[in-house]
Amino acid sequence: MKFIKRLLRDSFERDIVILMIVSIFVGSMLASSVSLTANAYFSKTLANIVGDYGEFDLIISVREEMKDDAVIQIQKIIDDAFPGAKLKEGPTLTGKTSFFVALPDQYKTKKIYEDLGKTFGSIPGGAGIGFMTEPRITVRGVPDGAKNMLMDNIAQMEGVRFAFRDGGSIGVLLTSLDKATAVNSAVQHLLKQYQVIEISFPVGSEPSNPIRLGETIADDMRQELKLNFAQNVSIDGKNDDMTYAVSTMMELRRFLGAYASEVTVTPAQGIVLHKGDQAIFQGAASDVPSAGQAVVQGNVVVEITEIGADGKGRGVITHGDAGQLMASAGYRLEKNLIGEPIGTVSYRNPRRELGNALNETSKLVAQIPGFAQDARNISNIGLGVLDNYNSGMAAIEKTLGDVQSAGNIIQTSTAGLADIDTSSLQSQIDSSSRAMGGLIGTLEVLKLVQADTGGPLESLSLTQRNLNNLKSTLAALDSAAANARKARLAIDQVVASANSTMGTLRAFDSNGARSSLTDTNNRLDELSKINVPLVTTQLGYMAAAAPNLKDEDISHTVQILDKFIAGQVIPGERIQILTTSNINTNAVAPIIFRQVGHENVALYSTALGVIEPNARGELYRVLGEVKAILAGLTAIVVTAVFLVFDHTAVMSVMRRRRKVGVVKKTGYLAALKRFVTGLAVAEKKYGMAVGAIMLTAMFIFAGGGIPYLPWIGVPVLGAFIGLVIAGACEKISPVAAEEVVAGEALGMSFDEIMREIVIPASRPGLFQKLNIRKMKFR
Amino acid sequence: MLTINNLSKRFGKVVAVNGMSLRVGRGETIVLMGPSGCGKSTTIRMINRLIEPDAGRIIFAGHDIISLGDEALRHTRKRIGFVFQQFNLIGRLTALENVMLGLVMGGMVKEAAYEKALSAMEKVGLVKFRDQKPSELSGGQQQRVGIARALAFEPELMLWDEPTASLDPMLVREVLVVMEELAKYRASTMLVVTHELPFALHVADRIVLMDKGQVVEEGIPAKVFVKPASDIGQRYKELIEYQMNTSALTLAGQRIA
Repeated sequence: MKFIKRLLRDSFERDIVILMIVSIFVGSMLASSVSLTANAYFSKTLANIVGDYGEFDLIISVREEMKDDAVIQIQKIIDDAFPGAKLKEGPTLTGKTSFFVALPDQYKTKKIYEDLGKTFGSIPGGAGIGFMTEPRITVRGVPDGAKNMLMDNIAQMEGVRFAFRDGGSIGVLLTSLDKATAVNSAVQHLLKQYQVIEISFPVGSEPSNPIRLGETIADDMRQELKLNFAQNVSIDGKNDDMTYAVSTMMELRRFLGAYASEVTVTPAQGIVLHKGDQAIFQGAASDVPSAGQAVVQGNVVVEITEIGADGKGRGVITHGDAGQLMASAGYRLEKNLIGEPIGTVSYRNPRRELGNALNETSKLVAQIPGFAQDARNISNIGLGVLDNYNSGMAAIEKTLGDVQSAGNIIQTSTAGLADIDTSSLQSQIDSSSRAMGGLIGTLEVLKLVQADTGGPLESLSLTQRNLNNLKSTLAALDSAAANARKARLAIDQVVASANSTMGTLRAFDSNGARSSLTDTNNRLDELSKINVPLVTTQLGYMAAAAPNLKDEDISHTVQILDKFIAGQVIPGERIQILTTSNINTNAVAPIIFRQVGHENVALYSTALGVIEPNARGELYRVLGEVKAILAGLTAIVVTAVFLVFDHTAVMSVMRRRRKVGVVKKTGYLAALKRFVTGLAVAEKKYGMAVGAIMLTAMFIFAGGGIPYLPWIGVPVLGAFIGLVIAGACEKISPVAAEEVVAGEALGMSFDEIMREIVIPASRPGLFQKLNIRKMKFR
Repeated sequence: MLTINNLSKRFGKVVAVNGMSLRVGRGETIVLMGPSGCGKSTTIRMINRLIEPDAGRIIFAGHDIISLGDEALRHTRKRIGFVFQQFNLIGRLTALENVMLGLVMGGMVKEAAYEKALSAMEKVGLVKFRDQKPSELSGGQQQRVGIARALAFEPELMLWDEPTASLDPMLVREVLVVMEELAKYRASTMLVVTHELPFALHVADRIVLMDKGQVVEEGIPAKVFVKPASDIGQRYKELIEYQMNTSALTLAGQRIA
């Protein structure tokens, strides 16, 4: 607060603040001037050599001795293709003369840039074309197959004019220089989102079709690892037709290889086979091969391509066909002459096997119509059965219902019988019958007495007979009730059993079965439409054709295919998969090992690309850095100079005031205390504060920058400079203590002493100049 | 005019002034004497607080100097002239500007300060050297400029800190003459620290002898140097006698060798 108040007054503190402001301004101007002057000098020098930044777009280098012809041709091309373009001859270095071309803006397009190689292709002198258009950044190391994707993404970024193929790199033209940092960051960010997983195959383990293998691995990575992005970028995706052609050729080669006869040569006793050895067999020739003779028509020649662990050689027939291998004895063939016996041969002819298989298949195909008709008949029968089944089920269900009803009726009918006490009734009938019998006996006795009792006696006898009949009937009734109950029980059991059976029958999905049969019928209909004769003919043709492919034809064709494929830029020893960066090679390895079929591969993860500042841009960037360094160094020097010339006097006064009356204590404790508190003394705090403020401000205003010195280090460095100078302030700018004391004795204030005595007597500097206006005795 | 009570000052373990007391009357010329390191200069510098005392009181014109704030202290210092042993002139200023400096800084307009400074220069006989830088003047002349600078304020109290100690013996006289003149007219009260015995004998109203930071004896020169009560006084007496004898013998042509 006190300090603020003093600042507001016409105080020495305010003088210091003003001094610092002026110092910072002067220092910044000085640092800026030095750095700008140096930068301007270097830039001008550079511009004299290669033109100003962005002045030219192309650099065309031609052999020095051809430059006269070249310049005419270049000018002609420019006039024809890029009217308005500017041509300038540049320096000649190491036998190459450079020509700079500045293109009108309308010609700065992706297509034109990518076609410039062709456009200037007719320049004599082995012209090489480079791009100089600025502002531009270059991304190198991008796999060919990833370039389109990357260019598409970059082209959508703000600040990007377009991206184009620049040889093996991607050039990115920016709309303006101030977008460079943002685009650079965005491209860096984009590159970091991806990685390229490289699968390297050792010699001998290369995949037969790296394109197909790469695609398969990428597919598996997407599906199994749930990756959003995985793509085989081993080859250049810009030329898809050729890619597919080469892929097809690879497949064709693999196909032919698969149907080439597999020849195995078992070496004779004492013979060691080597890869590349050739063996000759009699084949269809009339004579057995003999040493010293040349190969004749009909001989079969086998080239050993692989030696097994058992010493047997496996190879391909390069002359003749496996079908001609009658005698198994073979001879070494060297320099086209027959040599020593080499061993015996055995072979497997996949083409013949294929032919046989095709013949068998054609026979099978011929049976298809019959099979189809039979199947349809069976199917129709099945449908009929299903119909019967349904009606049968309905009848059974109805019968079961009737039976159950009958059972119920029987139960109802016999329920009354069951309640009758037939035994009591029978007993009463018996009693009545016996009583009647006694009566009848009586009457018969009476009849003897009285003949007219004959009528009643007959009537009574009839009644007794009726009673006996009734008794019999009751007995029968009893039996009937029992039978009715049995019948009911039987009916119930029948119904229960039938219901169980019906439940099982009902579980059968007759509708589903019907639907299946219907579908089957439909398919059988389709089957019947097959042009069986045509298929049979084709199969027969293939069966006849496959064996006709001779082994020597195959081996020669494979050689031609190999030569063509080798001419394409398809590295068989390496597959590159572009994927997101959130997966590591360990996670991908199982998929790769599985698809490759072995683990004899090396996996690497590499960046999708690297931003490569173009040489010119780099040069200007370095110049910018030099400018910043010069500004920074100048700021450091100026800060030190200002501290020495302007502030040491102030620091000396502070030190003197601090030291007045203080007796230096001795002993290690006092020394330790001095060391610990040494930084906190007034003049050092002042020096550090002024140094830090001035240097930081000058760095900011002059655009200073020192490599490896972070921004936080700038004030620290300034403080350090201030500290060092403060430590030597009295040596640098000794204060005439007696003059200060005289001033104090005269009643002068601190401000007056500083302005009239100390500063005028100090080192000549800015402070002295500024102080003059405050002095009363100038 | 000036009363000092129990004034003390230590520099670390060294006791420079140890409870010193002194009274100085207006117009009085006091000569402070004693062996080197006895605390004379420290005492005289504490009076205008060029050195801050540790304890005690210094009453000047009714005010305790020790308790004064910065502003009041600076005002008081303008009332107390101080003549340094090393002259303490401002090297970049001319003799006249040195004399004017205090006046102008005190708020006086330059023209008035010029007249006053010139008058002070006249008193010390240096008008013709007014435009010379201190480095162009002899030691005696520089000290006379220093005296003129102190006189220009017309101070109520003049403090002299061994004004001739740094001077060539041949130049001492010109300074002592000026001092004697000032004392004679009693323009201001003077407190003089010096080893100049003749000056003390001739000019001092009182001699104050100090030893080990304390006043050991004080009195008029005739008392202190003729009948000293202290060892220091006795030694000064012996010194005076020795100087007088050797001077007399020398003047009589009776040198020892």
